Amino acid sequence: MSEAMHIPGDWHDGYIPDNVVVGSDSYIETSYSFLRYRSAADPGVVIGQSTGVYQGTMFDLGPHAQVKIGDYVLMHGVRIIADTAVEIGSHTMMSWRVVIMDSYRIDPDVSSRRAQLDEVSQTEDRFLPGNTSGAKVTIGENVWIGFDTCILPSVTIGDNAIVGARAVVTEDVPAGAVVAGNPATIVRYQQNPA
Amino acid sequence: MSDTKHWLQDDLPENVELGKDSLIIGSEIFKRFHSELSNAITIGNSSTLHQPHFALGKQARLIIGDHSFLDNTILLGEQKISIGNYVVIGWNTTITDSDFHPASPAERLQDAIACSPTGNRSARPPIAAAPVIIQDDVWIGPSVTILKGITIEKGARIEAGAVVTANVPANAYVIGNPARLAEPPTVEEAASE
Repeated sequence: MSEAMHIPGDWHDGYIPDNVVVGSDSYIETSYSFLRYRSAADPGVVIGQSTGVYQGTMFDLGPHAQVKIGDYVLMHGVRIIADTAVEIGSHTMMSWRVVIMDSYRIDPDVSSRRAQLDEVSQTEDRFLPGNTSGAKVTIGENVWIGFDTCILPSVTIGDNAIVGARAVVTEDVPAGAVVAGNPATIVRYQQNPA
Repeated sequence: MSDTKHWLQDDLPENVELGKDSLIIGSEIFKRFHSELSNAITIGNSSTLHQPHFALGKQARLIIGDHSFLDNTILLGEQKISIGNYVVIGWNTTITDSDFHPASPAERLQDAIACSPTGNRSARPPIAAAPVIIQDDVWIGPSVTILKGITIEKGARIEAGAVVTANVPANAYVIGNPARLAEPPTVEEAASE
């Protein structure tokens, strides 16, 4: 918890964890984005250069989660719920209240789920346990993701794709595609994806 | 944004009951709490509520059972919202038991005038409301919307981002807008991809 990890003028009395690597000219608005951060991985989060991480973004990471974010990425209130791995390519833009999850964090089996909830209620911070059976989410370069979108576990979104507002992405999105809807379907391909 | 704190029974309004080992973590959680019922909110034992929003009208009642886990749930109540035991609700889900305004154009216009800053709120037309019931072991993903009069039966699973406009049978999996029955993704499927 070194002094250098505090953000000058931060309204939240927190810090950027030691296992977060931030590239040159990148900006993190508030340490509040790490309120739910439990990653002990080395590194837990890598942020490239000239990337903006603005208010409302939350790194809700379990103990084993690793998140890699490229250069010139815009994160305007993205919630990353990760227990395994999330990778976001350079020049990708994400709008507010986007949920990117690589894990359901909770067991589909009712009796296991009850046991998990019993355990959570005995802890001080009351976080759901990190699930090790998550599936990596990969978002390519120059992808544009609209507000209130949910990207579900194991999904890969190809380079230059566009995801419409409030879409729920359950399957891979090919490069250059435009998808929308809940669940999301391909609307069209862009003429000049390169 | 003010500081988040841990709310225990002594910090709560008199008509809010929080059971043993239950905990509310958040700030400004009663900003839109107007319920005048003597038992407005009842929360059972060992439940966790991260940053809930208790936006409850004068006659609204909210019941949450034991061992449930709610993350940033927006609870918009005018009548009754009932959540069972071992229910998990993911981040930023909205549950409402009311339409808040009438549907017919003439009544809606009348309502807009009654709701204006200098309007007479006692002149508001009747507004449809119906209880929402979420039974035990229901698992709701993040960014879900659940509308008035809905019953979600025991053990059902609601996928992230779904908009639930009809009742969900026991142990069913629903996804989409509007939410429809589907085959759930398995953990094995997700991990092998």
